[in-house]
Amino acid sequence: MLLAQILVDGVLLGGLYGLMALGMALVWGVLNIVNLAHGAFIMLGGYLVYFLFAAGLDPLASLPLAMLAMFAFGYVIQRGLLNLIVRSALLNTLLFTFGLDVVLTFLAQLLFSADYRTINPSYAGANFTVAHVTIPVGRLVAFAIAIVLAMLLYLLLRHSRLGRAIRATAQNLDAARLYGVDPGKIYAVTFGLGAALAAAAGGLYGIVAQITPYIGATLTAKSFVIAIIGGLENPLSIIAAGVVIGLAEAITALYLGPTYTDVIGFGLLVLILVVRPARSLKLA
Amino acid sequence: MKWRWIVPAFALAALVAVPWLGDEVLIQFGISALLIAVLAQSWNILGGFTGYVSFGNSVFYGLGAYGTAIAMAQWHQSFWLGLVLGAAVAVALAALLGWPILRLRGPYFAIVTLGLSAAMSALIANLDIAGKNIGLILPLTRNDTMFYELSLGLLAAATLTVAWIARSRFGMGLIAIREDEDAAATIGVDATRYKLAALMLAAFFTALAGGIHAYWITFIDPAGSFDTTLDVRMVIMTMFGGPGTVFGPVIGAFILSAIYEILANGISTAAALFFAVVIMLAVIFMPKGLMDLGGGFRSLGWRYFLANMRRYRL
Repeated sequence: MLLAQILVDGVLLGGLYGLMALGMALVWGVLNIVNLAHGAFIMLGGYLVYFLFAAGLDPLASLPLAMLAMFAFGYVIQRGLLNLIVRSALLNTLLFTFGLDVVLTFLAQLLFSADYRTINPSYAGANFTVAHVTIPVGRLVAFAIAIVLAMLLYLLLRHSRLGRAIRATAQNLDAARLYGVDPGKIYAVTFGLGAALAAAAGGLYGIVAQITPYIGATLTAKSFVIAIIGGLENPLSIIAAGVVIGLAEAITALYLGPTYTDVIGFGLLVLILVVRPARSLKLA
Repeated sequence: MKWRWIVPAFALAALVAVPWLGDEVLIQFGISALLIAVLAQSWNILGGFTGYVSFGNSVFYGLGAYGTAIAMAQWHQSFWLGLVLGAAVAVALAALLGWPILRLRGPYFAIVTLGLSAAMSALIANLDIAGKNIGLILPLTRNDTMFYELSLGLLAAATLTVAWIARSRFGMGLIAIREDEDAAATIGVDATRYKLAALMLAAFFTALAGGIHAYWITFIDPAGSFDTTLDVRMVIMTMFGGPGTVFGPVIGAFILSAIYEILANGISTAAALFFAVVIMLAVIFMPKGLMDLGGGFRSLGWRYFLANMRRYRL
C-alpha cells in the first residue's frame, strides 16, 4: 500500500511539475530562449495568489487574475528588453535571463521578506480515501488544473489564428513576416503566455508547498529537465514528462532516500541526451 | 610585435610586488581575485574559443579542493602531492564526462553541465573519506604571501597557455568549431577530440585553483566547494572582459572582483544584484566584452553601444 500511495503522490505532484515546465517549453520552442528566470516567474505568481488569498480571495478565483498580471509583465519584458537580443547567441539570452532571475529574487526578498508562505484554503488540507490510498484534495486540484491548462494551450496553438501565427513564427521567422505576422508582437505574446502559465503553476505550488523568494532556481532546473524530456512539441507530452519526473522522484525518495531526489531528474536528463542527442526541439 | 608583451610584463611585475606593500586586506583580496581570474581564464579555453558554454566547471574546482584536502587531512601528505592528486582526478573526470557530453551540440551541452556540480556535491556528501556533509579541516599555514604568489603564478601559467592556444593550430581548430562545427569537421578538425582537450586543460587549471583555495581557507565542505555561483561568476567575468581573447577574462575578473569587493563592504545584497545588472547591460550593449571596446569605441564613440544594441534586435 505504501508503494501505491507513493505512486499516487508522485503522479499528482508530477502534473504540477508539468505545468511548471509548460511555459518554459513554449518560450523555448518558439523564441529559442531558455528562460532561466522562469522559476522566478513561478515564484512571483505564487506571491500574487498568496496576497490575493490573504485579502480574502479563493486561490482558484485569483489564479486567472495572477495569470493576467504575469502575462502583462512577460509581455513588457519581452517587448522592451528581450526582443533586443533575441537573435543573438543562446548564451546571451541565457545570461540575460539569469540576470533577470537574480534581480527578481532580490526584489521579492526585499518586498515580501524571506518568510515561508503557504496558501491554505479549507480544501488544501482535506483528503479522501480510495482503496486505502489517501488522495490529498490540494494536489488533485493542482493536477486537474495542470491538465486543463495544457489542453487549452494545445487548442490555442492548433486551432486559433494566434496559435497559427505563433507556430509560423517558430518555424520560419522571415516567412511569417512576409505573411503579415508582426514577430515583435508574437514574441511578446508568447513570452507573456509563458509567464502566465508560470503564474498558474506558482499559485498551485503555493497550495501544495511553501513559497519563499528562493524557490526559483530549483523550479527552473526542474522545468528545464521536464521540457527536454517532454520535447517542446506537444503540451500534453510535457505534462506526461512532468508525471515521469514526479514518479521518479517519489520512487527515489522511497528507495534511495530524499537526498537523491534532485539528482535523479538530472541523471535521467543526461541519460536521455546521451542516448538520443539528435532529438528535435521545435514546437510545431 | 614584442611591444604587445611589454604592458602585460609590467603588469605582472607590479602584481608580483603587491605583497611588499604589506597590506594584509589587499593581499587577501588579491588571492581571491587571482583565483577567480584563473577560473575565468580556464573557462575561456573551452567557452571562449569553441563557444561551448559550460556551467559546470566548478565541479573541477571542487575536485581540486577535495583532492588536496583528502591528501593533506586524511593521508597526511604534502600540499604539492594534494594539488597533483586533485588535478589528476579533475582531468580524469573531464575526460570521462567529456567524451559523451561533448558530442552534444550547443545548448544541450550547457544544459547537461548545469547539474554537474549538484550531482558531485551530493556524491561527495555521502563519502566517508571526504568527511561527508561536515567537510574536512586542513593543516593551518599562515603565509598569505606564499598563497598570493602561488595564485599569481598559476594565473600567469593559465594566461600563457591561452596565449599559446590563440596562435596555435590547436586554437585555430577550436575557433573553427565555434564558427561552424560541420565546416571544421570537413577540413579535418576532429571536433570531439579538440573540445575534449580544451575541457581537460580547463579542468587542470581550475582544479589547481581549487586546491590552492582549499589550503588557503583550511576548511572545505560540499556546499562551499561545489558552488554554482562560481560557475556564474566565471562566465560573467569572461563575457564582460571578452571571450576568446587572451587578457579579456583576466581584466574582466579583476575589474568585477574589485567592484564586487567595494559593494560588498557597503551593502552585501547589492553586490549580487550588481553582477546581475552588469551582465544584463553587457549582453545588450557590449556582447563582445571589454577587449572589443578599444577598437569599436574609438571609431564609433558612444554610438558603439547603440550599434551593438541594434545588431541583434528583432
